[in-house]
Amino acid sequence: MTTSSSPPLLPPRPAPPSARRSWRGALRQELFATPLDGVISVLLLAALLAAGVGFWHWAFRQAQWAVIQANTTLFAVGRYPLLQQWRLWLLVTLAGATIGASWGLLRSHPRADRSGTLWPINDLVAIAVLAFVAAWLPVALKLPVPLQLRWWAITALLLVLRGVSGQWGQLVPRRLLRFLPLLWPALYLFGMVLIAGGLGVPRVPPSEWGGLLLTLLMASFAILLSFPIGIVVALGRRSTLPLLRWSSVLYIEFIRGAPLITLLFLGQNILGYMLPGGWAPDRVWRAAWVLTFFCGAYLAEAVRAGLAAVPVGQLEAARSLGLSVPQALRHVVLPQALRIALPATVGQFISLLQDTTLLSLIGLLDLLGTARTVMANPEFLGKNAEVYLTLAVLFWCCCAALGLGSRALERRLDPSHSPT
Amino acid sequence: MTASPLMIEARGVQKWYPNGFHALRGVDLSVSRGEVVVIMGPSGSGKSTFIRTFNALEDFQEGTITIDGIALSNDLRNIDAIRCDTGMVFQQFNLFPHLTVLENLTLAPVAVRKRRRAEVEAQALGLLERVGIAEQAGKYPGQLSGGQQQRVAIARSLCMEPRILLFDEPTSALDPEMVGEVLEVMRALAADGMTMVVVTHEMGFAREVAHRVVLMSEGQIVEEAAPTTFFTNPQHERSRQFLAQIL
Ligand SMILES: Nc1ncnc2c1ncn2[C@@H]1O[C@H](COP(=O)(O)OP(=O)(O)OP(=O)(O)O)[C@@H](O)[C@H]1O
Ligand SMILES: [Mg+2]
Repeated sequence: MTTSSSPPLLPPRPAPPSARRSWRGALRQELFATPLDGVISVLLLAALLAAGVGFWHWAFRQAQWAVIQANTTLFAVGRYPLLQQWRLWLLVTLAGATIGASWGLLRSHPRADRSGTLWPINDLVAIAVLAFVAAWLPVALKLPVPLQLRWWAITALLLVLRGVSGQWGQLVPRRLLRFLPLLWPALYLFGMVLIAGGLGVPRVPPSEWGGLLLTLLMASFAILLSFPIGIVVALGRRSTLPLLRWSSVLYIEFIRGAPLITLLFLGQNILGYMLPGGWAPDRVWRAAWVLTFFCGAYLAEAVRAGLAAVPVGQLEAARSLGLSVPQALRHVVLPQALRIALPATVGQFISLLQDTTLLSLIGLLDLLGTARTVMANPEFLGKNAEVYLTLAVLFWCCCAALGLGSRALERRLDPSHSPT
Repeated sequence: MTASPLMIEARGVQKWYPNGFHALRGVDLSVSRGEVVVIMGPSGSGKSTFIRTFNALEDFQEGTITIDGIALSNDLRNIDAIRCDTGMVFQQFNLFPHLTVLENLTLAPVAVRKRRRAEVEAQALGLLERVGIAEQAGKYPGQLSGGQQQRVAIARSLCMEPRILLFDEPTSALDPEMVGEVLEVMRALAADGMTMVVVTHEMGFAREVAHRVVLMSEGQIVEEAAPTTFFTNPQHERSRQFLAQIL
């Protein structure tokens, strides 16, 4: 044997302590490495500081937030009848409870194969931010005391349920847990009934919905329905049946070739002519369907890109195992394609949410439409900056929530992210 | 050998790709039950195209192919039946990356054969044991080495209890030190009497395991012989050239 003559293998040794920089050193290296870097850094810092101070001064000295404080209900739900608003409170309470329970259960049942991906610090930060916003906002908005108490109670319910289900969620049997995600569609349908009425609850016609309520309703409706449309049309575009392929292409190209606002106007007018009297949906629903089909066309392109990114070998392997085409799509191709398409899909949802502001141009009282009626009120003349800033922050929060949710989902679905 | 029934019978198979390329030019091949046939040939000679016609991943325009008594035709029910009975192992493994190893194995038996999941899982664990990677059942394919992935792919085919296994260059994408472990599994399958058609350039495997070696060139079979004859005394000029290249 030659082993005796070859040099012995080195035993492992612990990694050296990483050269830790002091924050001073880090700062110097990041910002002032060269003279030019230094100049750029100083200029940028000065600009940021000036902008920050200017904004602070405006927001807390000059701005008069009475325009928001006096119109919170209008911004939230528009002209939804006062006597029926308990339904919306019930819905918010149920939503808070569902969020709290889902959040806690998600934490008490980490996926066995992805244990390392949770950072407890994230949860703490989220709870702290939520508690702070819920405690401060009702006061800052000068809500009447009973309403303040309601918001605090709902937040407390959310946090308590999160704590309880996080602590004892393990006790829920796995079999039952599988059905828990169904809570969400159930809540959505129930929420629709609460908002619109029916099933014994008095009707509130869509023309009386408004504000954030209308915006979220339109966006969520379009998001939920455009998703299946997008998948079907994307599959249709790749189908071997020529007629199906052509109609998919026609649909996608027609929608993508026209600006949304023209489609919205077209929808308002054409649906009235096309469908016999009384059949055409209400103005709000016409707009909702236009938004849905608009978003569906763009989603179809996102899903198509996802489908194209799945190697053909996957379909071949599935087919050679005897899976039919629908089975192969369902179990093998679509799960991978949709995961790839997820970022683009959520990007589409975010722009859809912002596109709902166009509804104000066809005369609906969504957030922007409501804001415009408020600003037209002589009592609040010239308070545009306050109103627009509030709108921007509201939209920013909704979009940030969508983005965070999608990134969490992406991590949860990524098999290569597993730490093992 | 002649007494056992034919599992694969290809007669005068002609195939043109949509771009007009004549990929198979009248190929005949018969494989009996329990036989191991190795297909060799230079790159682009149509080996993959040929074995992919056996489970209808490629269509063909003329000739007939009969798999275990069922004629391959455009009748979709026939194709599904044949695919359930023929397993295929690919050069690139083609494992499903979003499913665990165990789920890769159980997907088809549960979805296609409608068998009970618990029962299939027990069988799948047995198969993983057989190919030597039972401890990896809960991992994802991306966490395995190439050799382990290919063994999972073989186990996945076996889980459908096929009567024929097709291999398209199963070791070509592997690092040299992993080739052995995959060939070992294939050897054991051959010893158990599995009918196998293997496209490979592994001389050792062909010499020891194959009952027959087939050489393809330009979409045709130019030589068909027992391995000893083929490697020591090839009859055809093309075979000699080919062997000179890979030796
Ligand atoms: N989809 C296709 N369209 C047109 N020509 C094709 C197509 N697929 C393969 N070919 C051609 O058919 C011939 C046979 O291809 P095939 O993949 O069967 O060869 P092979 O013997 O498996 O080669 P290799 O050893 O490189 O895998 C090649 O010349 C190839 O260029
Ligand atoms: Mg090939």
